[in-house]
Parts: sequence; structure tokens; C-alpha cells
Amino acid sequence: MTRHGRRLEETTLTVWQVVELARHASRPYSLDYIRRLAPDFIELHGDRISADDPALVAGVGTWHGRTTVFLGHQKGRSLKERVARNWGMMHPEGYRKALRLAHHAAKFGFPIISLIDTPGAYPGAGAEERGIAAAIARAIMEWFRIPVPIVAAVIGEGGSGGALGMGVADRVIMLENSIYSVASPEAAASIVWRDNSRKVEAAEQLQLTSRDLLAMGVVEEVVPEPEGGAHMDFDAAARVLDEALFRHAQPLLAQPADVLLQHRYERFRYIDSLIHAEPHFGPKID
Amino acid sequence: MQLAKVQHEVRMAGAKLPPIALPTNCPGCGVSLDPEALRKHAYVCECGHHFRLGADAWIILLADRGSWHERWGDVRSHDLLNWKVPKPYQATIDQLADEGLNEAVRTGTCTLGGRPIWLAAFDFRFVGGTLSIVAGERLARGMEQAAASGLPYLLVSASGGARMQEGVLALMQMAKVNAAVGRLHSSGVPFFSVLTDPTFGGTAASLALLADINIAEPGAAIGFTGPRVIKQATYADLPAGFQSAEFQLARGQVDMVVLRTELRRLLAHLLEMYP
Repeated sequence: MTRHGRRLEETTLTVWQVVELARHASRPYSLDYIRRLAPDFIELHGDRISADDPALVAGVGTWHGRTTVFLGHQKGRSLKERVARNWGMMHPEGYRKALRLAHHAAKFGFPIISLIDTPGAYPGAGAEERGIAAAIARAIMEWFRIPVPIVAAVIGEGGSGGALGMGVADRVIMLENSIYSVASPEAAASIVWRDNSRKVEAAEQLQLTSRDLLAMGVVEEVVPEPEGGAHMDFDAAARVLDEALFRHAQPLLAQPADVLLQHRYERFRYIDSLIHAEPHFGPKID
Repeated sequence: MQLAKVQHEVRMAGAKLPPIALPTNCPGCGVSLDPEALRKHAYVCECGHHFRLGADAWIILLADRGSWHERWGDVRSHDLLNWKVPKPYQATIDQLADEGLNEAVRTGTCTLGGRPIWLAAFDFRFVGGTLSIVAGERLARGMEQAAASGLPYLLVSASGGARMQEGVLALMQMAKVNAAVGRLHSSGVPFFSVLTDPTFGGTAASLALLADINIAEPGAAIGFTGPRVIKQATYADLPAGFQSAEFQLARGQVDMVVLRTELRRLLAHLLEMYP
């Protein structure tokens, strides 16, 4: 059961099957959800410094009668689109675009919805040359200063710092078959074993499924997916996500900014408190 | 690139640096090393090669003699995720504790040139200086106290990033720590960061590059993704000096590249300029 009493079915899937579902090529991506949540969505582009990062979709739409800023990692469907979207892996310009839109939201008092679906920030030379580390660092710090409600949802892959750079929010929820991890299973295997073929073992140890994160107290809710996974029914998946996002956003809309920011600070400052309280936490819930 | 010969004496606080593990020859110039002479020179070879220091050495190098007051040294990591292969995490941390290492970050208060400050030093010998719950907790608590008390905050980093064996909770330390960095900045407290070899991943992408003044050691490798992973992922040929301190200086990420032997004097001067 989630905190809000929605029934989350038990799963018979292995950890690796969940990883494969989270990465499923037919899985709905950010734009599939955003266009269902806000049919009048208008995409906005650019970091106002040097470029637009197509790996991050950003814009405004009317959501439950209110103008809302939507941000989301965007993977591509066809090979051509995947290349154009860089498989949802952001460059520094993407984090700057996100912050630009965050300040835009703050100016007008719009809430922010952030959809997370990335293997990680782009691990390439260009990203390094243009300061990807500092771009992520600054984004994470700045999110704590944006005085409007932010709800984030992991809809597929929540990979490492590239995901967290878009994941500082008042509430963070996850779709049932999504993952959120300190590093991709391949990267973790490469770091711990020096062998990225040990990815299945790494995934099993990382405790990266939605159920694991709920048990650790890192996310507020796990949103059930349609039978077989979100890719089986985009409309149904979007409806359940919409309902969950709004249920979390609604109480935040009434909060004064200082209370909102204080709670956001405390949410992350004490995010490991469940672990401190339970020194022998470990076995997974199944 | 060729560095100028190190000529300046180390102006240390008085105590001797501890012995460190050294190769027989310098990786920078190939000369056979005299450990005792190097120790008196803050482990900087005449050619300018900087050997990695642990947190214990950094505390001796930077804190005025007898002023170090360690905080939260008794908070210890434990195995949260039941991590078993290739080596049980609990065995890893127990073994490092037996070797006398106390987590990847040590923090406390001290004086530097007579000025009271908060100091936090990463230790690369402890699971690659990785950001863990305990490391994050020590950093965040120290920054919160610095913000509340008005003492300047000095960070020395050497880290591979977030600690895999603590899973997503290690990742969350980046947010926990950066929330505190934000408070440090809004409190008006000076924050100086010394980036040493290597500073990568979740540490570079959280507090290490967000200081008021970022200072890097010569030749230190600083970046987000390590060169091995970049080559694996993109098949790119990385030029010599890619992600070096000098590379980061040229690209605007650090304010200066400073010899370790000059560092203490520089920091003492900065602390006078940023009261």
C-alpha cells in the first residue's frame, strides 16, 4: 500500500525485469504524458546563454485550471529522434534551461512538474568542457530557492546526478516500473567490479526499484501502472499519474513560500532519517 | 605541461605530516623519491607533482597547531543495503576503520592563521573518498553550524563521487549537502573550496565547485564523468590534460591553481580579506 491508500499490487518481476520495463522502447516518454496532462502545452526553448538542450523538454500548459511549468527528460522513439534527443541525457545547457524556467515559474507563481527519465547526464567530452559538474551542482542548489510548489515524478529511468539535477522537489513520486539509482546498473558494475557485464548483480544490490525507494523513505508514493506496464495503455498510465501528481500538488498550492522552502530543505536534509532510525534496515520488501 | 620548480618553503603549522604510501619514483619526473624530504615539502615533488594526502595530513597542514577540534567523529557508516558482492560492504568499512581511517570526510573547527574556521577534508583512502550518508551528514551539519555561527567554511575535496554501496541514499547526499551550501551562501559566510586529485562525480556535482572561491591543486583531475567511462561511452580520444586543474581554470570552473606549499599562506590571507 502507498501512503495514500492506493493499492499497489505485489510484483513477481525480477529486479532486472523491472530495469528492462523502465527502459522499454515503447514506454511513454515525458511528452506523451505532458500532452495528456495539459493538451494546450506550449514548448519553450533555450537557456538564454548559448543553446537549447533537446534532451530536456520544457514549457507551459494548463493543468487543472492553472498555468503550470512542465519539465521532462525526453528520449526519442526512432533512431533519428533518439540521436536528436541524445537519449534523454542532458548537457549543461539543459540544467540552465531548467533553472531559467524555474525562475520563470517563480516570477508568475506557477507550480512546476518535473518528469524524470534519463540514464544520466551526458558522459561525453563536450559536457565536461562546458562544466556539467558545476551545472548539476548549481541546479541542485537553486531548486531549494524556487518559491513555488514542485512535484517530481520518475517515469522511467532515474539515473544518477543527471536525474537528481531535475529531482529536487517538494514531493517525489515514482511510477511502479521505474528505477532511481546512484548510478546505472552498468556504471555501478563498472565501478565496483570493473566489469559492466555484472549489471544484473549490481541492479539487485542497488535497491533501485520504486518499492525499494518507497521503503527507504526517499519517495512519497509509488503510482501503479496498467497491467503489463505503462506502455500497454498510455492513456490509462497518464490518468493515474495525473491524479497522483495533482493529489500531491494540491496541498502545496496553499502553502506560504517560506513554509514550502523550509519543508523542501527538511525533506532532503533528513531524507536518510528512516535509515538512522533503523540501523539494521536492509532486507528488501517484496 | 611543465611546472615551475617548487621553491617556496612550506609554511606549516608546526606539526609533521604523517608518512604516506609513496611509489619509489615520482610519476611526474621519474626521480627516485626521498620520503623524508618529501614529507617536509608537503609531499610535493620538486617537479611540481602533488602526491595525494589523507584527511589527517590536511588537518595537520591547514589547522594551527593544537587548534583542531573534531566533530561527529563517532558517527559511523553501516551496511544498509545488505551489500554482499564482490565484497561485503560491512567488511570493507570495518577493515578501513581498523586501519585507523574515519570515513571519507572528517570535519571540525580549528584556527588557520589565528582565524577560527570550519574545516572539512575528504579522505580518498576511505572507499575512494566517496560521499556516503555519514560523509554527507558531517558536511551538512558543519555547514549549518558555520552558517549559524558566521565562521568561514573551508573544504578540501578528494573524491570519486557518491558511494555505490549506499545506493540511492548516497545520491541523495548531493541534495542534502547542496541544501546546506545554499544556506551557507545566504548567511553571507565565506566558503573556500580546495579541489585536489581527484574530485569527480557526485562530489564535483555538489559542493566542491560551488564555493565563493574554488582553488585547485596543480595537475589535479577534476570533472563529472571519469576519463575511462567517457572513452567507453563515446569512443572519444581525450587530449592530454583533459579535466586537469589547468583545463578547469581555462574553462572558468576554478579561480586559481595553487601549489600546496603556497596554500596555507593564501588561505590565511583570504581569511583576512573576507572577515
